[in-house]
Amino acid sequence: MIGGRRPLPGRKIADRRVRVARPHAPYFRYTGPGQLVARKAASRPLTPTGRLVAKAKAILIGRPLMSEEEIGERLPKKKALAIFSSDAISSSAYATEEILRILIVAGASALALSVEVALAIALLLAVVSFSYRQVCHAYPSGGGAYVVARENLAPVFGLIAAAALLIDYVMTVAVSTASAIQQIQSVVPEAFDYRIEIAFVSIALITIGNLRGLRESGNIFAVPTYLFVGLALLIVGSGIIRIVQGAVVPLPPQPQALVPGGEALTIFLLLRAFAGGSVALTGVEAIANGVPAFKPPESRNAANTLTIMAVLLGVLFVGITIVARAYQIVPSVDGSGGPTVVALVASAAFGGGSPLFIAFQAATALILFLAANTSFNAFPRLAAILAEDGYMPRQFSFRGDRLAYSWGIVLLAGIAFGLLYVFNGDTHALIPLYSVGVFVCFTLSQVGMVRHWFRVREAGWRWRAGVNGLGGLMTLLVLVVVASVKFADGAWLVIVLIPVQVAIFLFISGQYAAAARQLAIRPDLVVPLPHREERVVIPIQTLNRAVVQAINVGRSISDDVRAVFISDDPEEAEELRRRWEQQVPGVPLVIVESPYRALAGPFLAYLEVLDRAWPPDKEAPITFVVLPEYVARSWWERILYNQSVRRLRSVLLGRPHTVVVNVPYRREEPEVFEQALAADPDERD
Amino acid sequence: MPETVPPLFRRAVLAVSGGPGDRTIVRLACELARPHKAELTVVHVVEIDWTLPLDADVASRSEEAQRVLDLADELAEEMHYFVEPVLLQARDVGAALVDEATERGADLLILSLPYRKRFGGDFALGRTVPYVFKNAPCMVWVIREPMPEEKP
Repeated sequence: MIGGRRPLPGRKIADRRVRVARPHAPYFRYTGPGQLVARKAASRPLTPTGRLVAKAKAILIGRPLMSEEEIGERLPKKKALAIFSSDAISSSAYATEEILRILIVAGASALALSVEVALAIALLLAVVSFSYRQVCHAYPSGGGAYVVARENLAPVFGLIAAAALLIDYVMTVAVSTASAIQQIQSVVPEAFDYRIEIAFVSIALITIGNLRGLRESGNIFAVPTYLFVGLALLIVGSGIIRIVQGAVVPLPPQPQALVPGGEALTIFLLLRAFAGGSVALTGVEAIANGVPAFKPPESRNAANTLTIMAVLLGVLFVGITIVARAYQIVPSVDGSGGPTVVALVASAAFGGGSPLFIAFQAATALILFLAANTSFNAFPRLAAILAEDGYMPRQFSFRGDRLAYSWGIVLLAGIAFGLLYVFNGDTHALIPLYSVGVFVCFTLSQVGMVRHWFRVREAGWRWRAGVNGLGGLMTLLVLVVVASVKFADGAWLVIVLIPVQVAIFLFISGQYAAAARQLAIRPDLVVPLPHREERVVIPIQTLNRAVVQAINVGRSISDDVRAVFISDDPEEAEELRRRWEQQVPGVPLVIVESPYRALAGPFLAYLEVLDRAWPPDKEAPITFVVLPEYVARSWWERILYNQSVRRLRSVLLGRPHTVVVNVPYRREEPEVFEQALAADPDERD
Repeated sequence: MPETVPPLFRRAVLAVSGGPGDRTIVRLACELARPHKAELTVVHVVEIDWTLPLDADVASRSEEAQRVLDLADELAEEMHYFVEPVLLQARDVGAALVDEATERGADLLILSLPYRKRFGGDFALGRTVPYVFKNAPCMVWVIREPMPEEKP
């Protein structure tokens, strides 16, 4: 960089010194030979509009963070529990209801089995959590089931797990948002009419929160999660004490309660209840996907957070089910607007309409909205890992201003809201789509971990493999039941979507691989000097300063320079030739008359003719098409100028052996322009 | 009323040379300057020998010279303190430092001194430190780098 030098006097003549300007300093910092690091000012927009947009963005999502600030964005366990567990913990708000809805088909007495079903699910939760603890330690770079299946089974199984997970995360956002709106309806029935608007606002807020970065979203979302956990534990605790004291008075059935059916209580019905309640497990895998988001030691912190989450979820889920059974709570008819099971449990514990009841309902609605937040962390991370592996477009691996994976966040928000809109904000219409994906990835992850233990054979590998094997069998059983029971209700869509998504992953990967092959150079190749001939063609519309500048650029590329004027007016063309020969000697002007007034076609045809005229025994030359362009200074100037240039540029794109060079001309005073021409050393000679 | 402690300095010039002592003096100066928000100027002088004109295009093209100041700037930024980096060309480093400190009205000039020995084993102070000691109108601190560990 050439900087200015300012002489300064010294105390003696010989002590003079020169202060040297450092023009790079505001924008770059030298860190090594030939190595610069860009500073914040280098990324600052140059135009007023750009600056305004950047300012608005900074207000909305915060100031841009440096890559090295990433470590400061990592999550401590308390915040991580709130961010990654809100999905799993919030499942306790509706998992009991899913069990009761199925059991009631076999009559009111069948509801008594809900606790046993919940305990079986809790056992499955323990096994799955144990497995994911191992995943946190074995795969600290995150990725969860995708990485486990890719590494231990085959890449395609990894892709199946990834597809299932991505679908699951979209479902989580949609289902939890719809559930939260339903909780609000339990207190404010009028909210039903505004469910789509509420969904939009909540998804938009969570999107902005996540675009602001991990740490800030942790700050925003921690309070509701802990409020829900505290109040739910209070409900379970007080309920259990009353049960022990024998002080439970069953709640009278509410008007919208489901009428008990008369079906036989079969194993299949119990399996259906088990599968229905297994939605409680959704979100358990999120921590294993996001291990790198934790503060060091990442794996240990993630594994411990996972255990805390599993214990909390298990206690809340089983506890709420026990209290619901004790109070003989019956779920409401779907779509009736009646209270949810968890709302009835809360009203039994706190008294309907009491401040604690309202606080719990608000906390439940909030945590259900925030369950979506888990997906907003897990989905973009998984998409980023897939993008790094070449299975998704690369932009998904780029981090935004706040080090968040902005592309993934925005895509998730868009799809989830679209889904809610299409399904009209109905939770139960979406739940069949929900648990299939998550159990596909649970099963693949468990089986993958069994292979992992057989491969590494660390101390205790046999019992670990045994636990994972058992977990794999149980999750496979749930998967089969969920898929078969809910197939007609919409689970088929997920079963179809997973292979479609895997096919898309493979297509993208194939495209990237093909492009890499086409762009690769041999490692032993030493790049020689260019030997192909070059020629320059400059399309012009008149003779002006922009054209003169383009000609000068063309002359610096090659000696073979010609200007081409496509004209539909022979008189105008003749006038231009007269001026051209007088003012631009040495550069031939070719006039192409275009009686049909077309511009791009005749120009392309002229280039084609030039190519054909080239001696066939010589290698084809590189044609530089130099486009003079006037730099617009405002939006309306952009409409007024350069339209022909844009048209030519678009038709020249991809033409073989052709390089398009844009030469922008910025408006300047005539004297400045003429001085610049005269300063040319050849002119001076 | 609490007693106010007068500032050690209000304006300091830090001479950096690209040696390991630069880190120490920048960190120390930032720490000491913070309570009274003293101004810090980090100066690096590129010595121009008599075969070249004084204003020859040397320092601006030298990545090494720029890097010395950029490192000091980065260290100060890590300490959340602002320093003004100044790059000079001069025939003599000591004279340039003294003149720069005088021109800026600095009340402190800080230099680092590597532990070097002359041929024969005597400690070498160099030319710059004695010159600055003798001619600087302000307070001068010299921070000598630790002795290199003896190789067994």
